[in-house]
Amino acid sequence: MTRTVTFTKEQIAAYAEASGDHNPIHLDDDFARSVGLPGVIAHGMLQMGIAGTVAAEAAGGGERLRRLVCRFSGMVVPGDRVIFSAEPAGPGKLDIHAVNETGEAVLTKSSAEYV
Amino acid sequence: MTETGVAGRTYPAVTFEIDKDSVAAFAKAIGADPAAGVPPTFAAVYALGATAPQLFGDPDAAIDFAKLLHAEQEFEWMRHPQPGETVTSQGRVASDMSRRGIRFVSFETETKGADGDGICRSRALFVIRQ
Repeated sequence: MTRTVTFTKEQIAAYAEASGDHNPIHLDDDFARSVGLPGVIAHGMLQMGIAGTVAAEAAGGGERLRRLVCRFSGMVVPGDRVIFSAEPAGPGKLDIHAVNETGEAVLTKSSAEYV
Repeated sequence: MTETGVAGRTYPAVTFEIDKDSVAAFAKAIGADPAAGVPPTFAAVYALGATAPQLFGDPDAAIDFAKLLHAEQEFEWMRHPQPGETVTSQGRVASDMSRRGIRFVSFETETKGADGDGICRSRALFVIRQ
């Protein structure tokens, strides 16, 4: 099960609004640069939300998910194209991967469990 | 590794209504089907999002938001909440350690239903450069 997402500033802003996480590193390029980032970055929790949709599909429905673990290992910036995948890893278990177009893993050691 | 800050601190429980319009907006933002019910990761809102501001606003915790990274997140669900349901979430600092100028704060949130049944356990690892 895979899903490819090209991140945009609009999508990151929509996630900020929907989640209530208005940290300016996700919304304001000037602020993000002032703290050493290249510009605004996507929320780790937006990546996890997308990974969760892929895991839910692989599990046969979100209501079956019992655990989701994500390690945010790489930054995602607007314009990045990320492939999210969930692969079977034994009964009731999934390995989760997210890799950007340069082959860098943006999620590592990520997994899900379902019933 | 030395213990720092607010290890063991528990914050007051927060009541949160699983509002269907908020759920729909969240589903849309992550590209989930809004007709498929509450996305599992809406726990980012009803568990983590409902309680983390207490930690970030705690003067004793002294967390510099500009130096904060969310390094890891885990959700464990006993069940998923329904739209219209009111849940209660309580946050706790499971550990707060510093090593070589980097502070690691493990923040756990337990979410329960109206009758006290378990819904979700959230564990966030925040890394703060010092």
